[in-house]
Amino acid sequence: MHNTRFLTQEFEYFVPHTLSEALDLLFTYQDKRTKILAGGTDLLVKMKTLGIGVDYLININEISEIKNVELDKGLKIGAAVKLSQLEKMKAVKEEYPALYEGITSMAAIAIRNMATLVGNICNASPAGDTIPPLVVYGAKLRIVSKKGERVIPLEDFISGVGETILKRDELVSQVIIPEPYKDLGSAFCKKGRVKADIAKINLAVGIERDGDICRDCRIVLGSVFSKTLRAYKSEEILRGKVIKDDLIISAAKRAAEEIKPIDDVRSTAEYRNELARVMVEDTLHIAWERAGGKRW
Amino acid sequence: MEKEQYDFIGQPLEIKNIGKVTGKELYSSDINIPGQLYAVILRSPHAHAEIKKVDYSEAVKVGAVCIGPQDVPEIIYNERIVSIPEKTYRDRTVLPKEKVRHKGEALVACAAETEEKAWAALQKIKIEWGKQWKPLLTLEKALSDDAPPIYDWVYLGEEKLKVKNNIACERNIEVGDVEEGFREADIVIEKTFHTQRVYHMQFETKSAVCVPEADGGITVWTTSQGIHNVRILLGNIFNLPLSKINIKRITLGGSFGSSIQMNSITPICVALALKAKKPVKLVSSREDDFYDHAKYPLKTILKVGVKKDGTFTAAHCRVWVEIGGHNIQAYPYLGCVAGWFASLYKWKNIKYEGTAVYTNKVPTCAMQGYGNPQINFAVESMIDILAEELKMDPINLRLKNYVGKGDEFWGQGPTVRSIIRSCGVEEMLLEGAKLAQWEKRVPHYQKKEVIRKGMGVARGFHTSGTGGPNPGEVIDYSGATIKINEDGSVDVLTALMDLGGGTWDALAKIVAEVLKVPFEKIGIYNGIDTRSTVFDVNTHATRGVYCGGGAVKFVAEKVKEILLNYAATLFKDLPENLVLSCNKELGQAIIYPREIPENYKTIGEIAEYAHTTSWGTLAYTSTLRQKNCPPCFITHFVEVEVNTRTGEVKIPRVVIMGDSGTIINPNLWEGQIIGAFSRGLGFGLLEETDYHPEDGSLRCKGLVTDYKIPTTLEMPKIEDIIVRSAHTYEPTGPFGAKGIGEAALSSVGPAIANAIYNAIGIRFYELPITPEKILKSLQEKEENLRKRRGE
Repeated sequence: MHNTRFLTQEFEYFVPHTLSEALDLLFTYQDKRTKILAGGTDLLVKMKTLGIGVDYLININEISEIKNVELDKGLKIGAAVKLSQLEKMKAVKEEYPALYEGITSMAAIAIRNMATLVGNICNASPAGDTIPPLVVYGAKLRIVSKKGERVIPLEDFISGVGETILKRDELVSQVIIPEPYKDLGSAFCKKGRVKADIAKINLAVGIERDGDICRDCRIVLGSVFSKTLRAYKSEEILRGKVIKDDLIISAAKRAAEEIKPIDDVRSTAEYRNELARVMVEDTLHIAWERAGGKRW
Repeated sequence: MEKEQYDFIGQPLEIKNIGKVTGKELYSSDINIPGQLYAVILRSPHAHAEIKKVDYSEAVKVGAVCIGPQDVPEIIYNERIVSIPEKTYRDRTVLPKEKVRHKGEALVACAAETEEKAWAALQKIKIEWGKQWKPLLTLEKALSDDAPPIYDWVYLGEEKLKVKNNIACERNIEVGDVEEGFREADIVIEKTFHTQRVYHMQFETKSAVCVPEADGGITVWTTSQGIHNVRILLGNIFNLPLSKINIKRITLGGSFGSSIQMNSITPICVALALKAKKPVKLVSSREDDFYDHAKYPLKTILKVGVKKDGTFTAAHCRVWVEIGGHNIQAYPYLGCVAGWFASLYKWKNIKYEGTAVYTNKVPTCAMQGYGNPQINFAVESMIDILAEELKMDPINLRLKNYVGKGDEFWGQGPTVRSIIRSCGVEEMLLEGAKLAQWEKRVPHYQKKEVIRKGMGVARGFHTSGTGGPNPGEVIDYSGATIKINEDGSVDVLTALMDLGGGTWDALAKIVAEVLKVPFEKIGIYNGIDTRSTVFDVNTHATRGVYCGGGAVKFVAEKVKEILLNYAATLFKDLPENLVLSCNKELGQAIIYPREIPENYKTIGEIAEYAHTTSWGTLAYTSTLRQKNCPPCFITHFVEVEVNTRTGEVKIPRVVIMGDSGTIINPNLWEGQIIGAFSRGLGFGLLEETDYHPEDGSLRCKGLVTDYKIPTTLEMPKIEDIIVRSAHTYEPTGPFGAKGIGEAALSSVGPAIANAIYNAIGIRFYELPITPEKILKSLQEKEENLRKRRGE
C-alpha cells in the first residue's frame, strides 16, 4: 500500500530557464527515467500512488518561452500555461466555448491554478477533459527535441491509456489551435459523480454550418474507450445533411453504438452506453444552435 | 413552558474561537516534540492470512525502531469502553498476533528520524505468510457453513466464547405477541432494505504523538472523542498506573463517530515510543484512514401489520450487519438499532432479531446516527409504502402512530428507557408541510415530463446522551471544574470533546448564563488534559449539550452558590437577598442587594477580594449523570428533480424541521442540520466503499479521487434550505436543551427515496440511489409497461 503523505523516492531535480536547456537535459537523460513536471497535478499523484519511478525531474515552469498564449489566427498555447490562465481569456471563452467548458468542468480552482493544458494532454487519460474539445477544434501539437521539431495532429498523439507517441528526448512545447470556421458551433458536456470529478463520460462536438446544412462536424467522446474516441460513423450521418431533430437523434444513437465503455469505479458500461446517447443528442443541439442553426 | 429571558442562550454566536478560521488551531498532527521520531505503518496486503513470521531486522539495520506482533502486549481488548465491561466483546490486540483479518490491517510499524526514512525502512521488512483464505466479503459468504472462521473465539467481558459461523453477536427482543398482532392486521407488508458501508471522511486523519516521560509515564496527544477512555485503555494495555498517563485534549478535525473508540494507531504510537524511549509521532495518510474505519451497513427485513384505519398492530424486524474484521461495538449497535426502530412508532407488538457477522473487510464503527439512518431508511420507506396501500396521506399515517410525549422511549437500546417529556413531532410535520407546500404534491402517475419533480417526507430522531432513570449497559456521566478567576473571568475545565459542532461554545454559553459572566470571558478552549479534569465518557450519542452541558450547568450552579455565600459576607446580607446579573456595559457579572442595584459589586471585585484576603478560589469540581436521554426530533421535506433520460437527481429545495428544545447556539444548530443534510445526500445518492471481490481491497484504493462525497454544488442553494425549529422545552435539559447532531442525519436518506418515488413511481430498497440504478429501473419499468400493453 502507498502512503500519499510524502514522496518516498529520491530523484534529481532541474529547473531550466530556457527551452534549449530543458531539451539538453532530456537528451542527456533520455535513457533514464526522466519526467517533465508542469503542473504536477497528475504526475505527483502517480509518483505517490502508482510508484512511478523518476530519476530526473525537469520542472518547466520557469521557461518563459512556453508560458505564453499567442493570439494570432487561432491560439498557440505554451506548455507551461496554466488552465486557470486560459479560462480567464476572453478569446477562449468566446471562440472556443467547448474548451472553456472543458477546462472549467475540471477539478477545483486550486488544481486549475497548477495544472496545464499540455499536461492534461500528455497525461493521456481516457477521461482527460480538454482532449475532446481540442480534437473538435483540430488542435495540433508542436513537439520539440534537441534534434528538431515536428507538428502533429493531437488525434494522432495519444496511443493508449497513459501512452503517447512522444519520444524520450521530446517534449510538447505548444498546442496550436487553428482559427475556427466562421459558423462553427461547439459545445462540451460532462457527467461525473459530483461537480469536481473525473468524468463518467465527457464529450465535445463541433458543427460547421452552411445554411441549414452541416458542412462538417466532429463528435469526440472521452471515458468510453482506452483513449479519446471520435464517433466517425455518427459524424457521417450529419455531414452534408440538412440538420433536423430526427437526424440528431440517429447520430446520437449511432455514437452510442461506436463507443466501447467499461465498468469501473465511476460508473458502468451499461449506463455509459445510455448516457452517451443522451449527452451526444443534447450537445449536438447546443452546438447547432451556437452555430446559428434553427431548431426543428 | 418555563421559558425564561436569557442573556446568552439562544443568541447567535459571535465567533470567539477563531483558530480554525485563521489556521492557528492546533490538531494532533501539529504537535511537534524536540527529538521526536516519525512513524509509518505497514498494512496487510492480504485480507485473511496467517502470519508466520515478521522479520524487521533489516529495517533496524537502517536505523528504524520497529514493532511487530511479537512486541505488543498479549492483552485482548476492545478499543471502545463506553459500554459496561460485561457487555463488551473483546477480540483484538495492538497488532494482530496470529493472522490478519482484513486487507489494510496494521501489522508492523517503524519509527525513524523522518517519515521518508521510516518508510524506506518499512520496505525492508519481510513477512512470511502461512495459510491464506479467500476473503469473506458478504453476509451470505461469511455465514455459509463452509466459510473459514475469522475468529475461533472471542471474549465477552471475562467469558471466553466460541465463535460460530462467524457470528460476532446476536440480539433478540420481543415485546407483546407479533403473531397475534399480524392476525389483527388488515394489511401486512414485508420488504427487504439495504444500506451500504460508507467512509467517515472526516477532515483530520487519525494521528497521535506520544512522549515517554522521565517518571515512566506517558503523555499523549491523539484524535479522540473521549480522552479519559483513551487513558484507561492505555493503562490497561501497557500496564501503567493511570496516574502516569496524561492524555491531552486537542481539537478534532471532525470525526463523525470514528474516534469514539480509541483509534487503532494510538496504542501503536505508544508502543513505538515506549520501545524507542523517545517521542514518536504517527500521522495516518488518507489511505491508512480508509482502511481503518467505516460506517456499519445494515440489511433489514421489515414486516409491518396495519389496520384499515392506519393503526399499527405489529412489526417484525430482522437485521444483519457485516462488521468487518473487528467487533468494535456491534452488540450495542444491535441494541440501538432495536431502540431506534421501537421508538419511531407505536407498533404495539414487536419482534426484533439482530445478527452481527464478521467479514474480511475494514472494521465498522459508529457514524453519525449509530444505526439510526440505516433502520430509519427501512422504517420511513415502509411508512410511505403502507400509506399508499391504505390510501392515506403519509403525514397523517405518521401523526397517527408516532411515539411522542408521555410515551416510552428507548434511548440506547432496550436497557435505557425513559419517558418523553418534550416533543415537537406534530408541529414539525404540520408546519413543515405548510412551508414545503405539501398540498401541491401530485402522485407520480400524473407526471410525464422528462424532468420529474417529486416531494418526500421522512422523520427521525436521535437520543440526547445515553442516560436513563436506571443506568443501563452504557456508561454516561460528565463533569467539570469551574473557577472564577481573580478578574471575574471564568475557566471551565472539562474533558468533553468538541467534534467540530461547537459543543465548547454551547458549554461556555451555559456557564455564562448561570454565572451571568459575558460569554467572551469564559475560557474553555485549550490547556485541558485528563490529569486536570474529572471523567467524561465521550462526545457521542448526541450528548454534548444535554449531558456535558447538564454537567457544567450543575457545577456552575455550585460555583454560583459559593459566590453568593461569599458575597453575602461582603454585603453583610443573606445570599438569598442578593441578585446576580450581567452588566453588559461593564462587561462583567455584578451582584447587588435586591432592590438596590446601585450598590453593586462586580464579581471581578469580589473574586479579587477573595484573592487578596487569601480567602481562596471561588471554584467547584463535580460530575453529573443525566438520568434521561430525551429524543431530539427531525423532519425532512425534500424536493427532487429526477432526470428520466440520465437518472440524475437534483435537490432544488429542502425544508428541515428540528426539535432540540431550547437552542443554545442557533447558527451552529442550523449548521449542524445543513451539514448533516449534505452527509445524508452522500449516503442517499452517492457514497459507498466498494470492495474488490477477489482480494478484498477497496476499489477507491483509499483515495478521495474515487470516493466522492457531495460538494457544495450538489446542495440546494442556501436560500432554498429552509430550517426551522419546533417550539419545545425539555424539562430535564440544561435551560431546556436537547441535542441535534445525529438526529439531523437520520431521515435524510428515506426522505430522498420517498421523493424519488413520488417523482417517478419507483421504490428503491437499497442505498445509494445512483443515476445508474435509477436509469436501469426506469428502463425496466418502461419494458414492463410495453409488455403489459402487448407490444
